[in-house]
Amino acid sequence: MATTIGRSLGWYRWPIAFIAALTSLLLIVPFLILVSTSWTEGSFINFPPEGFSLQWYAEVLTDKGWMGSFVLSLWTASLSTAIATVLGVAGAVGITRVKSRATQRWLRTMFIVPIALPPIAYAVGLYGVNSSLDFLRGTLVSLILGHALIALPYVFVIVSGGVARIDPSLRPAAATLGARWPLILWKVELPSLLPYVLSGMLFAFIVVFDEVVLAVFLLPPGMQTLPLRMLHASQEAFSPELTAASTLVSLLAIVVLAIIPLTNAARARRRRRPRARPNQPHLEGVVE
Amino acid sequence: MTTTPVTVAVRTASRSARAAGSATESRWLLWPPLVFFALALGAPLVMLLIQSFETGGSAYMEMFDVAAFPAALVRTVVMAAVVMLLTMVFGAFYALAIMGSPLWLRLTLLAALLLSLWTSVMVRSFGWVLLELPKGALYWFLNLLGLRDEPLDFYQTTIGMYPAMIAVMLPFAVLPMMSALQSIDHEQLNAARVFGAGELLTFRTVTWPQIIPAMISGGVLVFVMSLGFYVTPLLLGGPSNLTVSGVINAQINQANRPDLGAAMSILLVGGTMLVYLIADRLFKVSEKWG
Repeated sequence: MATTIGRSLGWYRWPIAFIAALTSLLLIVPFLILVSTSWTEGSFINFPPEGFSLQWYAEVLTDKGWMGSFVLSLWTASLSTAIATVLGVAGAVGITRVKSRATQRWLRTMFIVPIALPPIAYAVGLYGVNSSLDFLRGTLVSLILGHALIALPYVFVIVSGGVARIDPSLRPAAATLGARWPLILWKVELPSLLPYVLSGMLFAFIVVFDEVVLAVFLLPPGMQTLPLRMLHASQEAFSPELTAASTLVSLLAIVVLAIIPLTNAARARRRRRPRARPNQPHLEGVVE
Repeated sequence: MTTTPVTVAVRTASRSARAAGSATESRWLLWPPLVFFALALGAPLVMLLIQSFETGGSAYMEMFDVAAFPAALVRTVVMAAVVMLLTMVFGAFYALAIMGSPLWLRLTLLAALLLSLWTSVMVRSFGWVLLELPKGALYWFLNLLGLRDEPLDFYQTTIGMYPAMIAVMLPFAVLPMMSALQSIDHEQLNAARVFGAGELLTFRTVTWPQIIPAMISGGVLVFVMSLGFYVTPLLLGGPSNLTVSGVINAQINQANRPDLGAAMSILLVGGTMLVYLIADRLFKVSEKWG
């Protein structure tokens, strides 16, 4: 069964689908190869893998170095995500209170600009700040703040999409009933933004967890986040241990992020809103 | 362009918010992020400026004498432009196919896109390395078909970088186009059909004009992000294909010339921001993303 857009493309939809299917190979094949090399029985990377064993996964999961890096990444990424979430939500809600349209546009640009910031230049600048301020040296403060800045746009974009969908008559209604703005924010706006806040948070977490360039410059000696350990390991040699670790990280990301569409689907089933159009894969919370 | 229900909602929402919004409110909501931006974005940029002028501004002249830098600059801009154009073209096919294919294909394409968006950029680049190694997976496959029996010389070449970079950047081009296609009024498509427009005419007059803005904003984002790309070119381009980011890293960590590294960083940040701000004013990129 073809969709309306499919029908409007007529016969041309077949070559289009063919090109897209080939393009999707670019996305899937490297990942499958990486995963398959991690279950080899040998101790070298080989394709096709020799035999099947999970020894390299066991190796990674019991290794103090890998697990230490994992825990460090988990910690720093959680803190940065928390900061980015609070500030991103405040920004997305606050920006609608600004009176001038031009100021609003500039603020919006400012909140999104860190996506375009070249990570290495930013890392060099942060490194400069870090080494000129004594109390920051040897701490993780600048790494966490830097990661929070990088994650902020993702929260902002996703939550802004939610802010635009809040029924505009709710605020005046609550205000005439005597609620002041913190109460309105807490009782009216935040609850309806909650799914957006959660998906923004998860996205920010995945982005920060993956970031490596800042870690190259800002981690105190002797500390390695997971991506940094992976980068170092890859520069020595590609080992099944590295690909097993990569597979585990990816699985974690997939499981964590699969929570969003599943919870959204559950919510949609509970509400059954009639205006939801069927037949459209809707990426709620990815891009609005 | 046409006014979508969402933008109408934004406008009404901001109008009523203006009526109810107060100065205290924006102080509490907007100042914390603004202070954070000043600290976390402003301080490092000021630091870069100070560092780059440590030698009295001569770093800005000297950096072009660094052997690898001019070539890296050209390579980075060319690479970003090529990656932008190819992701825009393939992204358009991809978005159209997701919206216009039978269900099974649509789900496969969507799953591939989400897999790629959710897994680490570094992990995906590792996958490409394994694919492109002289005796890697691609060689195995070609050998299986009887097409090649000597090792490939694809890994760490300029050509070898491109497929990986396109794969990494593709989701950023596809997602805005997908949401643009989602908001097309299906009655317009049906109307075009009823009045006898063929596929090409319908596409050109109804679908295309609505994809274009999304295509441009996705392309701008891909271009700007590619300018600052570090990990994928490092892993797949190798030492002979350094990007500006790679040269900056070398100046700081190997050549011990932080002033040159800082001057190059200023150039990179300045160039990237300039491109972004111009594109933002011309094509309203940020609004497409918010």
